Amino acid sequence: MLIACLSRLGLELGLAGVIGIYAFDELWRVARFIYYGLLALQHRGQESCGIATFDGRGLHRHAAEGVVDRVFDEGLLASLQGWAGVGYVSPQPGQAGLQLAVAEGPVKLTLCLNGKLLNAEQLAKELKTLNAGEVKVFAELLSRLLAKLSPMEAAEEAMRRALGPYSFIALTERGEMIAARDPSGLKPLVIGSFGFDYGVVASESSAIDVVGAELKADVEPGEAYVFTPYSIERRRLFKPKPRFCAFEYVYLARPDSIINDRSIYEVRTRMGEALASEHPVEADVVIGVPETAIPFAMSYSNATKIPLAMGFVRTGPHVRSAIKPTQFERLVGVQLKLNPIRSAIRGRRLVLIDDSVVRGNTTKNTVAVMRNRLGVKEVHVRIGSPRLIAQCPFGMEVPPKDELIAAHLTDEEVAAVVGADSFHWLSLKGLLEAVGDCEERLCLGCFTEAYPFKEVEAREAA
Amino acid sequence: MVKVLLVGEASREHAIADALARSGREPRLYAVMKNCNPGIAKLCVQTGGAVFRGSFTDPKVVVEAASKCSADLVFIGPEEPLFRGVANALVEAGFPVVGALREAAEVEMSKAFMRRLMWKYRVPGRLRFKAFRSVEDAVAYISAYAESIALKPARQAGGKGVKVIADLQAYLSREKQEVKAKHARVIEEKHMAGYDDVEDRILIEERVEGPEYTLQAFTDGRTVKPMPLVQDNKNAFEMDIGPETGGMGSIAGPGMTLPFISGEELKASVEIIERVVEALWRERGVRYKGIISGQMMLTALWGPTIIEFYSRLGDPEACNVLPILKTDLLEVAEAIVSESLHKVDLEFEEAATVVKAVAPRGYPDHRELARGHPVYVDEEAIKRRGCILYYGSVDQRDDGSMVTAGSRVAEIVAKAEDIPRASELAEGCVPFIRLLDGHGLFHRSDIGSSTLLKRRVEQAELVREIYRYRASKGLVGRVLDWIPGRGKVEAEL
Repeated sequence: MLIACLSRLGLELGLAGVIGIYAFDELWRVARFIYYGLLALQHRGQESCGIATFDGRGLHRHAAEGVVDRVFDEGLLASLQGWAGVGYVSPQPGQAGLQLAVAEGPVKLTLCLNGKLLNAEQLAKELKTLNAGEVKVFAELLSRLLAKLSPMEAAEEAMRRALGPYSFIALTERGEMIAARDPSGLKPLVIGSFGFDYGVVASESSAIDVVGAELKADVEPGEAYVFTPYSIERRRLFKPKPRFCAFEYVYLARPDSIINDRSIYEVRTRMGEALASEHPVEADVVIGVPETAIPFAMSYSNATKIPLAMGFVRTGPHVRSAIKPTQFERLVGVQLKLNPIRSAIRGRRLVLIDDSVVRGNTTKNTVAVMRNRLGVKEVHVRIGSPRLIAQCPFGMEVPPKDELIAAHLTDEEVAAVVGADSFHWLSLKGLLEAVGDCEERLCLGCFTEAYPFKEVEAREAA
Repeated sequence: MVKVLLVGEASREHAIADALARSGREPRLYAVMKNCNPGIAKLCVQTGGAVFRGSFTDPKVVVEAASKCSADLVFIGPEEPLFRGVANALVEAGFPVVGALREAAEVEMSKAFMRRLMWKYRVPGRLRFKAFRSVEDAVAYISAYAESIALKPARQAGGKGVKVIADLQAYLSREKQEVKAKHARVIEEKHMAGYDDVEDRILIEERVEGPEYTLQAFTDGRTVKPMPLVQDNKNAFEMDIGPETGGMGSIAGPGMTLPFISGEELKASVEIIERVVEALWRERGVRYKGIISGQMMLTALWGPTIIEFYSRLGDPEACNVLPILKTDLLEVAEAIVSESLHKVDLEFEEAATVVKAVAPRGYPDHRELARGHPVYVDEEAIKRRGCILYYGSVDQRDDGSMVTAGSRVAEIVAKAEDIPRASELAEGCVPFIRLLDGHGLFHRSDIGSSTLLKRRVEQAELVREIYRYRASKGLVGRVLDWIPGRGKVEAEL
């Protein structure tokens, strides 16, 4: 149960789920499709969400704080008229609607963005506008470029100037939809379609499945798509320099998604197998901490032949505890989803599998419950991802290094602190093999402290 | 000197003209065209023939042209002249014709007739359908059943107006029901407007899915001689995204099947065509003399299944098969006319072929934008690369200049030992077609790519597994249901 901490509350998180749907004829009303697509992306952000549509006359928009099925009701969906639309979910607390900012520039447009603009301050200055948030700055930039350039050229120029890892989908009042992914491809983006009727762009393929469409491909790093009533244009604008986010594979993406041409479920299965071969142990039962660690636990069990048991039952709605904004909410989230099933555990030697550990507090809490209240013989903790030792500058808000247990203690020391018989992380090599991509094509910053975009940050700092 | 009159002006007819011109008997070519296709016009001039400008769907115009050049044979390319009885008028006037009589061409013109025929004669590969004579009845039916359906104009309307809606997620059904009902009205008001030659207006068919392919065959009404299978790509844009077009390009070979269709499936497909030709003879009492094509799909329900029939060659599909036809097309044509097709040994080169269509921005749904742009083609450069260019929707003016006429400008054909290599060859020729006023052209670079091919193979394997399972249970073509109170029922017409 990865507990991330929003240490810089009020600053923008770079994590979000985005979706755009573009129908090829005007008979379609896409708001409900976007709504269900957003439900399929809800795990990427549960604090605010929004939908904007275009009906040939103008943009309609609604964004608010809360989860998708709380924010939108029948009346709102009916008011969002149109055959094209975009939507987002975000773990961003505070002001709702930082996403779907409406640019006031010459071409009115709205935009949602998954990622970070590293030079937003600089861009705002150049545009002589307030830095009212990265999405807003990007929307203004694109709006001004669209007044003099074709949509594809505008996308190219905007991406040349806006630095950072991001994927975005913009919808203009002229009925164009622009979707693109920066050359690092750090933030995922995929494209799909439904027959001869509509195209879909989304952060993950699970959203494409849920809106009844078929996944076609990744939007490649450096690639852009422009949808207009007359054409769909696809162009490689920049040479791809892939640095896919390893954390998408470990935690962020849904296991039923395919991103970067890889099945998340398969990657996580291989991670569990790698964990089993790196850190086997004599035990009676394997249990996984819901929900992300379940595939790790299943394949650990399959590889070691130690039976898998259902360890916990959730109370209340599904909450992605790790991306809740406050420590209090995260703790409530974790505790509510971890009511243990005594008979599965009592008197056994247990392998407890989790996806990651930040400070070790909740792991310690869980192990103590196992031992003191349920009476297990042994607890061996296995973590499906490598040691988390550094912050993420690109969206996933990991606490500062001095709060990360893996950055300070050895496995044996962690075992002693959390009260486990043994404690092991997956190795970095194990992760790389499971992902099936080489180190140079991934961003492994939270495990290695080596990040792409270093030069950009240095320039910005100067 | 044999004189052949060709009817039509698209890339398909350019390919036919090209194949006829290759005949060792050096026929003289004439053509009836409304727009002047520069490729066809050139071949007419080169072979000593001529072009007649006029409405090629008008029987009077075509008979007059045939008389003027005292044609020994008339070859009709597109479907609309067949529907309007051009073949009938020519036969009455004593001209030998390759092209179905109106009665036989109804297999394409009336989609409801085709379905009824298939059910009446129990031809495999048939789908359940409902035909409606009023849009209100169709809308009422749609509102009553939230099903996955194909919604079609009951008459062939230039390939337009078909909407296939998979209605599988109950939570999206309301919007899809709305779209179906609205589209039924669009069919009535737009696509069926001006057609009063069929009684039915709207056709609703059960939706099936699987890889599509076209089987084109010559027939004299007794013998059916298949051509290599072709797969067209209907989505306007890359990776099968975008609205439906007449076809953005097609792949074939090497050999008679496609990489994702088995020999057995080809055989079953040919049998379907044979049985329909036979059924048409029994039903209508006319021999089908011309080309019949099945636009087919490999489905879980049947394996090879009929989506639609063409009473002619497909476009772009014709451009895959005619350039590799080794048998003299003129002799094939004469054998069709004299009902001696069984004596013809139809031979094709073993090569794989890829056709890529190049279209002006605006095609397919905004033709007004796509029309009237000056075209330049570097024919020599294309020839140097070993590829073939067939002109499409291009009008050549008297001064020799060419302008777009709204549809696909041209089709490039490449031959190679496999499909991906042919695709690359064709791709290399795309830049040799340009619009001189800077208006955009588009094509699909992915047609024939190994990525797309792999996708088709996977799709076919999925479907194949299901229909083989169904075959093992005796369920081919059958849909069983259990209704409380009524028991087990088998869905039928």
